[in-house]
Amino acid sequence: MTGIGAGLLLQLGLGALAVVSALMAAPSLRSRAGGILCTLIAVTGFVTGLAALLGATGGLLIPIALPMDPLLLAPDRLGGLFMLVVSGVGILVSLYSMSSTRGPDASRTAWVAMPVFLVGMQLVPAATDSVSFLLAWEIMTLGSTVLLLADHASRASVASAGIWYSAMSQLSFFFILAGFAVLAAASGGTSFANLQIESGSWPANVAFVLFLLGFGGKAELVPLHVWVPRVLPEAPSHVSAAMSGAMVKVGVYGGLLVCVRLLPDGPAWWGIAIMLIGGASALYGILQASVSSDLKVLLAYSTTENMGLVFLGLGASMLLRGYDATAAADAALVAALLLAVSHAAFKSTLFLGAGAIIHATGERNLDRLGGLGARMPVTAAAFGVASLGAAAIPITSGFVAEWMLLQSLIHGGRLDGAVVSVAASVAMPLAVAVIALTAGLALLTFVKAYGIAFLARPRSTAAADAHEVPPLMQLALALGALSVLALGLLPGPVAALVAHTVSPNPTAAVQSVGLGGVSLPGIGAVLDPIMLVVLSALVAIPVIVSIIVSARRHPHRTVDLPWGGGGSRARPRMQYTATSYAEPLVRVFDDVLRPSRDVQVTHVAESRYLVERVQVEQRVSDVFETRLYRPVLNLFQRYGIVVRQVANGSIHRYLSYSFVALLIVLIVVSL
Amino acid sequence: MFETFYPQLIGLCTGALLLTSALMVWRHSLLASIRLLALQGIALAALVAVIGIAEGEPELVLVSLLILSVKGVGLPWVLAHQSKASIKQIQESPRLNPTAALLAVTLLTILSYVVVSRVFGLGDTTTGHAAPIGLAMVLIGFLLLISRRRARSQLIGFLLLDNGIATIAFLTSGGVPILLEFAVSLDVLLVVLILHVFAGRMRTKFGGTAVDQLRELHD
Repeated sequence: MTGIGAGLLLQLGLGALAVVSALMAAPSLRSRAGGILCTLIAVTGFVTGLAALLGATGGLLIPIALPMDPLLLAPDRLGGLFMLVVSGVGILVSLYSMSSTRGPDASRTAWVAMPVFLVGMQLVPAATDSVSFLLAWEIMTLGSTVLLLADHASRASVASAGIWYSAMSQLSFFFILAGFAVLAAASGGTSFANLQIESGSWPANVAFVLFLLGFGGKAELVPLHVWVPRVLPEAPSHVSAAMSGAMVKVGVYGGLLVCVRLLPDGPAWWGIAIMLIGGASALYGILQASVSSDLKVLLAYSTTENMGLVFLGLGASMLLRGYDATAAADAALVAALLLAVSHAAFKSTLFLGAGAIIHATGERNLDRLGGLGARMPVTAAAFGVASLGAAAIPITSGFVAEWMLLQSLIHGGRLDGAVVSVAASVAMPLAVAVIALTAGLALLTFVKAYGIAFLARPRSTAAADAHEVPPLMQLALALGALSVLALGLLPGPVAALVAHTVSPNPTAAVQSVGLGGVSLPGIGAVLDPIMLVVLSALVAIPVIVSIIVSARRHPHRTVDLPWGGGGSRARPRMQYTATSYAEPLVRVFDDVLRPSRDVQVTHVAESRYLVERVQVEQRVSDVFETRLYRPVLNLFQRYGIVVRQVANGSIHRYLSYSFVALLIVLIVVSL
Repeated sequence: MFETFYPQLIGLCTGALLLTSALMVWRHSLLASIRLLALQGIALAALVAVIGIAEGEPELVLVSLLILSVKGVGLPWVLAHQSKASIKQIQESPRLNPTAALLAVTLLTILSYVVVSRVFGLGDTTTGHAAPIGLAMVLIGFLLLISRRRARSQLIGFLLLDNGIATIAFLTSGGVPILLEFAVSLDVLLVVLILHVFAGRMRTKFGGTAVDQLRELHD
């Protein structure tokens, strides 16, 4: 057996051991034992994925008696990359959950589901045939559903989220299953090697649409994202982190599997369709995130935005490849992958940070937080670094990916005299505009998330009484933040490795230069973050030194301002809140967001001219849910009521149906 | 001698079967329905005996005795196993009024003649000509099942249906093997016993056996 095969087998064995330990261990030991075993599963997956990414081959053959291609788990380089990403998130989450879980989150059921979820996610990228792919996919979905429902008994919103999640997951699974079925029927095999058919044929087009719907649902793309703002906020935070950081990447992997492996070189409209959906998701996601004042809803919608950008890159690369702009196409694809990797790092850290805030204060409403920076320094630092990543600020991972995506789109748009369709020549500049707008809104969003939660003064007693979380949770947060920085400071080696997974000629597309810098030879662009840091330090140090020197020369006088300048009597309620900070945005994008506002004015009893209190409530509902899903659901409900009339439990009615059916059959045969 | 009477005897027996079926639909009293069922059992036994004598098969005569004991005596006795005074008072309030029900019986009988003659052909034999009666009995039994409210009345519909199936079997192929007939008869007896006990339990539990009031059970 090869090393990869041993690694996969070890993951399965450790998963079984973790399930047994969750069932047998005493409640006091359960979280510790489960956390350690889950960490081991994730570490094994990390090592296996790294080996596969570096080019090791081998696999695990699962013997079956069914008449189809054999079930083989053998990750290639791309699968290895995603196994690495997923299990990297798994390590953070497992470490974190060891001390964060309590109450129903630490129940026997939840700790059984955790290793199942992790193993399922880690095996999806290893599958080399549709049957084992679907099997691992369902294991993943099952584990995540059970984890989500851990707290269903005490909170009704969890149960509702569970229903949405199950329904949307099953819809995704149905589409993926149908996609594989179409391909298998057209090609006559079930393994990925046998599934390939000509990309222009109509089964390929049908399968593409089915796969896009299926994997798009898992990757939270508009309009299949409706489960996201319900599920990610309601799940326990470490589960949200695993879902948003890792499970969503499995959806991305599915998209890549289809567009790069199974059906490469598709027609131009495939690329344009993916770009459209990706762009719409990016814009809609970040708009919703920017106006949300619930920290976890904000992070959930931001996930939709990031996945939109990933698919935008994927679509652009498909479109560019169609016009033989190979270098730009490779750069766009590598950018999409880098964005997926960096999103895994910063979004899992952000969700874990949100979990730490909830752990410390019990609040996830930004309007009731504040001042946590001084009370939870480690969480604040980690959340801050991850926020920089999410806002795509230099020296973090998010920046490198978006920079590369923009480079490929701008330079790819020229296309060197190739005859380009109107759609494509419009799509590229539009995509650049979309990325620019999302980048700006993302900056606003995360300034809000960090500033309102961690800076200023506490807006509630819960925030004022906050305390730093236990050391293991701090360790997970610190590791996550470090990975965000490392990916941002040393993008070269990572990008070069990633390029090996998708490009036939990786060194022509992406090279590592200097101290971990990245270069795109086909486009002629270079980025060296460490050099950037050194340069800005060279500029900043003289400035800082001169400021200090001048400050020494003019000693600071403390002046007591008369009446405190209005500052000494400021109360926490006078500060900006998340809602007020986002208010201009809500006004600007009023037509898209359609917020509902509720203003309640209570007058003093003596006079209607004096106001005792004013209460403002603003809700931003999901347009897709109210306009698209609700009508469909209502239709189903009406249909359900009609059907209930048909089958109302009366035995006479059922007998009448049989009798009428018998009579009809008799009349028909005698005609 | 017997050959000249044979078609008339067959006609008499099948006529009795059809008549009792129609009367069962017409009458609302449970006791009357049970008596009609007993009559029908006797008519069926007579039919089997006539066929057995005509075909010269002593086995069929044995079967006719079995039918007489189970369908003519046993089942009606089980159904009527209650004091005569109380059973007389049980009146069915069917979902179809008698006129409509009798009209439906007529239509069903015509339909079964049409179906049998079109699909299978009536054949040349006397028994073949009478075969549609069996199908008509099956359909009428079904009609009873869906139009009666009480559990025991529905049971009678079920037994009528079973009689219909037996009639078709005897008229078209001279009956099923004796062992099979024996087993089926016992099965039917068992089913009726179980349902009877069940109906009794329903009566003590819910105060009645009106099936259409039990629809809440599906939740």
